[in-house]
Amino acid sequence: MLNYIWGGLIVFSLVFALVADVRDLARDTYRNDQPLPVSVEFPDGYDPEGRLQDVTVGIDADTYRDFYATSEVPADRYAGVVIQTERGRQLRFADGEALPAPLATIRSMTSQRSDDLGGTMEGAPPGAGAPFWTATLRFEPVRWVKLSAIAAAAIDFAETAVTIALGLIGGLALWLGLLKIAEAAGILYALVRLTQPLLRPLFPEVPDGHPAMGLIVLNLTANMLGLGNAATPLGIKAMQELQTLNPTGDTATNPMVMLLAMNTASVQIVPPVLLVAIMGLHVNQLFFSILITTGLSLAVAIAVTKLLGRLRRYRNSDPSLQR
Amino acid sequence: MDIMRLVIDYASAFVLPCIIVGFPLYGMLRKVPVYEVFVEGAKEGFSVAVMIIPYLVAILFAIAMFRASGALDFLMQGLRPLLALVHVPAEVIPMALVRPLTGSGSAAIVLDMIGQYGEDSILVKMAATMFGSTETTFYVIAVYFGAINIRKTRHALPAGLIADIFAMFAAVYVVLLLFG
Repeated sequence: MLNYIWGGLIVFSLVFALVADVRDLARDTYRNDQPLPVSVEFPDGYDPEGRLQDVTVGIDADTYRDFYATSEVPADRYAGVVIQTERGRQLRFADGEALPAPLATIRSMTSQRSDDLGGTMEGAPPGAGAPFWTATLRFEPVRWVKLSAIAAAAIDFAETAVTIALGLIGGLALWLGLLKIAEAAGILYALVRLTQPLLRPLFPEVPDGHPAMGLIVLNLTANMLGLGNAATPLGIKAMQELQTLNPTGDTATNPMVMLLAMNTASVQIVPPVLLVAIMGLHVNQLFFSILITTGLSLAVAIAVTKLLGRLRRYRNSDPSLQR
Repeated sequence: MDIMRLVIDYASAFVLPCIIVGFPLYGMLRKVPVYEVFVEGAKEGFSVAVMIIPYLVAILFAIAMFRASGALDFLMQGLRPLLALVHVPAEVIPMALVRPLTGSGSAAIVLDMIGQYGEDSILVKMAATMFGSTETTFYVIAVYFGAINIRKTRHALPAGLIADIFAMFAAVYVVLLLFG
């Protein structure tokens, strides 16, 4: 299943990116090679000899909407600079200006190193000292936006994955250390004895008195209390304990699937820390809606896991039934 | 109900310090060489984290590509008329689609919706309830199964996704029922 979904995500991202890009080409979304009319204001008057001149750029909102067939509206004026060389005149918008939709994409596609949009100015320049120049601006042609976007996203997130995994090291070390103490001191076994009757129906394959049960309890408790940072290491440790019961090594057992499903349904009595950070006190009114939803979805997760586990396909792949 | 709320608040504030102090303290009482044992266990932290990397890279890059391709917009357009039939507002569909894929992405959606509709709007309540009552299924699979080198996940993903889909609908209707 994961093989198909994973492969599907990758193949479909290529398909969708191609569709979007071909559509952009067909509609000429970026008006490649058509110059955009702009009015350039020279605060100190136009200097035909000046190499760099600070200017403000105005784009008429109606013209812009018609030109790109968009509902986006440009700001009244943008800061920019006119660069004059023997090869012609360039207008570069200032770094990081808040540009409207197609222009922002053109910027991200054409200006790789910095955050400024640049184009070639066309039309006859005004006389020396003139305060205005109504010119047209031609940008580099933009094609295959989505295709480059998916490639960039893949590389970016491969790096992000490593950052996330390495970020887990500290929390993992702390909890794995504490749990080793709990194991040595017999705390885990006490927990197992205490909660076994409750969890036994959900994890019938785990033998009586096995430490995995204690870890499952700790993991679910941390989840319920919204302590995601503690829940993950506890869950990993619980999985490690379940793995000691696994005869195969690379195939998930029924208790592992159950624990995973219970974690993805995430029983939550206290809203997760991230949501509290986003919503502040407003999260309090959601206490019951979250509690009810998460309780219902936990019940569904358990039921679905049990039912799917009975399908012939998943029964045949059950590691504990193979030898 | 306020009492219950208070008890839970206290529990969530106290449980971590209690465990972090309580485990070693109890260990000391039981004559466990706590420092040595702690370090012994903590040693594994690094190797587990490193073990997760290939799984997390596989999942995250595929999801990132999928999102960057604009596929979600297509999906959203397709689902909108269907979901309108069962009273799911179009505005919460992005949340429902992104939530199982990425945690940070869906948090950004909640923030965005707060900016757009206000914290008290029913749409934000739906989205936040979705966020609060489900987990990033793909990430959880990568991390939990990656840590023990499980590659054949059997029915974990379908079970997780079915529960997610259910939770998305439940969030909409529960919020409608409580606040509608």
